[in-house]
Parts: sequence; structure tokens; C-alpha cells
Amino acid sequence: MSIGKRNNVRASGSGPATLLFAHGFGCDQNMWRRLAPAYATRFRTVLFDLVGSGQSDLFAYDRDKYGTLHGYADDVIEIVQEFAEGPVVFVGHSVSAMIGLLAHLKAPDRFAAQIMVGPSPCYINDGDYFGGFERKDIEGLLETMEANYLGWSSNMAPAIMGAPEQPELSHELTNSFCRTDPEIAKHFARVTFLSDHRAELPKLQAPSLILQCSDDIIAPRAVGEYMHAVMPGSTLAVIENVGHCPHLSAPSASADAIDTFLAAHGF
Amino acid sequence: MSPPAVPADVQAALDQVACGLLRLDTYGTILRANATACDWLGYARAELQGRKLQDLMTIGGRIFHQTHLAPLLQIQGSLSEVKLELVRRNGEVIPVVMNARRRENGGSPCDEVALFIARDRDKYERELLLARRRLEDAVAQERDRALLAEQMVGIVSHDLRNPLQTIQMGAVVLTRGNPSPEQLGVLGRITRAGERARRLIADLLDFTQARLGRGISVHPVPIALHSVVAEVVDELGQAYPARRLVHEPSGQGECLADADRVAQLVTNLVGNAIAYGDPGSAVTIRTAIAPQGSSLSVHNEGQPIPPELQASLFEPLVRGTKAGSGNRSVGLGLFIVREIARAHGGRVDVESTAASGTTFTVTLPRPDQ
Repeated sequence: MSIGKRNNVRASGSGPATLLFAHGFGCDQNMWRRLAPAYATRFRTVLFDLVGSGQSDLFAYDRDKYGTLHGYADDVIEIVQEFAEGPVVFVGHSVSAMIGLLAHLKAPDRFAAQIMVGPSPCYINDGDYFGGFERKDIEGLLETMEANYLGWSSNMAPAIMGAPEQPELSHELTNSFCRTDPEIAKHFARVTFLSDHRAELPKLQAPSLILQCSDDIIAPRAVGEYMHAVMPGSTLAVIENVGHCPHLSAPSASADAIDTFLAAHGF
Repeated sequence: MSPPAVPADVQAALDQVACGLLRLDTYGTILRANATACDWLGYARAELQGRKLQDLMTIGGRIFHQTHLAPLLQIQGSLSEVKLELVRRNGEVIPVVMNARRRENGGSPCDEVALFIARDRDKYERELLLARRRLEDAVAQERDRALLAEQMVGIVSHDLRNPLQTIQMGAVVLTRGNPSPEQLGVLGRITRAGERARRLIADLLDFTQARLGRGISVHPVPIALHSVVAEVVDELGQAYPARRLVHEPSGQGECLADADRVAQLVTNLVGNAIAYGDPGSAVTIRTAIAPQGSSLSVHNEGQPIPPELQASLFEPLVRGTKAGSGNRSVGLGLFIVREIARAHGGRVDVESTAASGTTFTVTLPRPDQ
């Protein structure tokens, strides 16, 4: 199995650097559809699906390898080696921000900067640290997922609703987006929401952008501020957005913040 | 915020419709709610308007909303049959099924949401999940138990070999010591019973080896199939003096097989033929060497094996129709025959009819296959 197939890698454009986009927990690389295409005119852009998500090869899902975010980080390094040109700016949403951080620390020569969209190093409250959730909340998420995966073969499909208004969405896309094997999804949820990478944050010396939404329950502002305080080369940009996916719901504000960051670091 | 006026009769109909209707802005803020929604959620309309729908969800539901539902609505413009739990004003949690559709509403998009209470569906689904978990547990427990039982069989069989060997050795020594004819008879019975027990233990060990995943071990070398089988038939003839055994070899040359395992095959198949076949007619053992592969078959006359039994005949612990003469014990013989044939890369087949009797045929592939 090639890396390109395993991770459903899509590369396009060319330029002095590569922007590598990594989606977060829940959906797949389609999450970048309102943000990534514009960058393909100036940079090489590489999009991919984490193993277990989207159109990745589900047979490659090994519960031991992907039992921590390190397994995903190793995949990222392999993708960089095969598909990137020039310095790499990693753009990671949500859990992928931590995957990018781990990959960066493992292979510091291969990455120039990290752009973290709605990142959180630890979702669970711990003493003075406010992550936003308690352990039981994560169990609640797993229950909700389980309830919705009972009919997972049909419930995420838009059926006839909605799609006519957005003819650019192919049938294939609407049926596969946001869906995967229920057991993998639950395992990934556990690995994501029980991960704790606070200790790695101060180790990142390269420039990083923390793209923080003003109203996001998954990555609350306190988390973005915490990260900014402990990461030496970090910039904190807060954008007005409700929810956890500013690249979808506030793409132009997201792009502005990213452009400013890229320009400040000579890209 | 004052939504445009809705004609009174339309408003009344919307309020009374049998599902909860909400209109949200794209951030989830409730702009409008019908009376059914207010009633189900336990809020007055004014309290509900301005609140975010996600704030009425459980925490787990909120994460699911942010990671799955909001992006889906954003990208594909609709959701259908999503199951969530909403928290009523009094804290009670109610399961709902939700459909949502995004549409343009005078320049600013909004989401039209329909909610359906799903208490019975929820109960049913919980029972389904519970049943599935119980089933998974039961299967896992059963698998453990079966594994333990097979391991026990293996250990006990192994440990039985030593005392049995002592008994057999003792019988040999006593036989040499000039016993009386009566004692010689007893010693003969001890020797034969010991031999049966030894074979049974060997079968049990093979069985556990095959079942615990390693498969039966064979060491195939070029052997003269005809003479190996002739020797076994000769020994069996002495063990069953009352029965006529006929060996019919055909073709010439060698075949690649494990001689001890071939002897075990013949012993098991002939033992079955004697136990289940017609006592008045011969048991015929044929060995054939041919360019396309070798075969070994054992034939007996008598009652055929019922067709419904033929399919499962080679599974462990399946017995023939009548319980034989007591020297077949737990129904491992044919299972082991099949495993030996498979370990050689071959197979075993059975043909059984009232007219032509019963024939078990083991085919061994050509050495280069």
C-alpha cells in the first residue's frame, strides 16, 4: 500500500514552500475546501486523510499504531518525505495541530512552521489547567456517536435534502464525508480526547500560529492563551467565530490571519 | 429581533404540528420555535429564542455537534436522522431525532430544524446495544472456555502417556517371565487395551494441536506407499482376526508423505470401517500411485452414512449412526484424518450409498504441487 493511497493524499500547485493541511477529528480533508484551494496558486498544497478517516485505507488502521497521536505523526513525516517540496508549513486543525507538533519535534529539519487551527493540547481539566471537559463528557461523546452509528449506513447521507442547492457536491462526496467505520471512530475519539501533549508545547522553537475562535467549546479561549504562554515562537490570533471550524464558517478571516503569519515569516 | 409576521392561522398550524420546529441562525442561535418545541423542551418561547441549540445538548452531544454536525450542515447543507439528547429546562434529558436543512432567508442563511421525540426508539436502541454487548461477552467467554477445555485435554493426554507406558512395559516384562496360559490371556488383554489407550491419547494430542492453531505436524519424505500401507494392514489384520482386510495396490513408484501419519490414517479409517461396516464382508484398502497424485481409500459394505451427516462427518466429536463396538471413543478419528490429509496439501472425501457401500478416499497431491 502506497502512502498516497493509505492517506488519500492530494497534492496540487507549486511554489517556494509546501502547505500541508491536516483535518481534525470527525470529518476528512473536505474540511479544507473553503480555505486550501486559494493557496494552491502560491504554494504547493498537500491534503490528506488521517488513516481511519475519509477515503484513507481502513485496512491500514492498526489500533496499536494509532493508539497514540505518534502513529499519525509518523505518517505525516512519511507524507512530507514523499509529497512536499521546499520548506513545509503544517496547517493542522484541532487534534491534527498536536499531530503536526509531534511530527515537527520528531523531524525538525523537515518543518518550517506550524499553523494550528483550534488546537488543544489536552481536552480534560486537570488541576489549574482548564481543558473544557471532564472524563465523563468524553464517555457522553462516545455514547452519542454510538447512538448515531446504529444507523450509520444512512443517517449521515443528505438523502435528497440540501444537495440540490450545492450542485458542486458529488454524490460520492456527500456519502463519504464525515463517515467511517464506527469502531475506528470511537477509538479515534478516545485517543484524541484523552491525549495530553502539554509537555511537548515548550519544545517547539519554530514559529507557530494559534488560530483561536472567539467561541469554541472544544478549544476554549483559555486553552489558546495557555498554549501561547508556553510556546516560545507562537503568535495568537483570535477570530470572531462560533464553533470549532473557522476554516469552514469563517474562511476569509482564517485566511487573513494565516496570510499575515506567513508574510511575517517570509513565505 | 422581530421575525416577520406570520399569518395567524399559519402560526397556529405550525404551533400545533406534531414535531418541534426551530429556525436557527448559522451559529445555532434559536430565532423561532413552535409551541411543540417549547412544550417538549419545557421553555417559554421567549426563553428559547436567543439561546443556542447546542447549549441544550449534553456535553457529549455538543462535541459531536461541533465535530460532525456543524461541518456537515456547512458543507452539504442538510442533516437527516441525527440522534441527540436535549436537556429540558427541568434538567430532564430527552432523546430526539433531528433533521436540519440550511436555506437562504432574505440574504442571511438559516437552518430549519425539525425535532422528533424518540423515547421508544432510544429504549429499543439501548436494548439492542446491550444485547450486542452481552452477546460479545458471551462469545468471548465461550471462546475462553473452549480454549481452556482444549488446553486441558492436551495437558491431561500428555500426562497420561507416562503411566500408560509403565503399564505397557510391565505387561511386556511379565510376558517374558513364563506366564501361565491364563495369565498370558490377561496380559494380552492388557496389551491390547493399552494400545487402544495409546492411540486415543495420540488422537487427543493431535486434536488439540490442530484446534489450538498450530495444525497437525507432518514431515513428508518420499515413501513407498504400497508397502507402508501393506504393513499397517497386516498389523490390523492381527488386531482384528475375525475380519477380512484386503489390500489392493495399483501403480508404481513413491509418493511424498509422512509414513507414521499414513499409518495413522489407515488405522483410523479401517477402525471406522470395522466399527460401522457390515461384519460379514471384507474391508478393502486401495492405494494408487498415479502421475497426477496418489490416493488411499478404504471401503466397506453396510448401511450408508445418512447424507445429512456426511457434511459434518469430519468435524470433531461427530459420530456415525450407531455407536460401534465400543473401541471408537470420542469421534476424533475422521477429524484427524482430514487434518493429516490437509497437512499434506491433500483432502479427504466420502461416498456412501446403500448400493455401493462407503468409501473414504484420501488424495495426496503430486510432490511438485
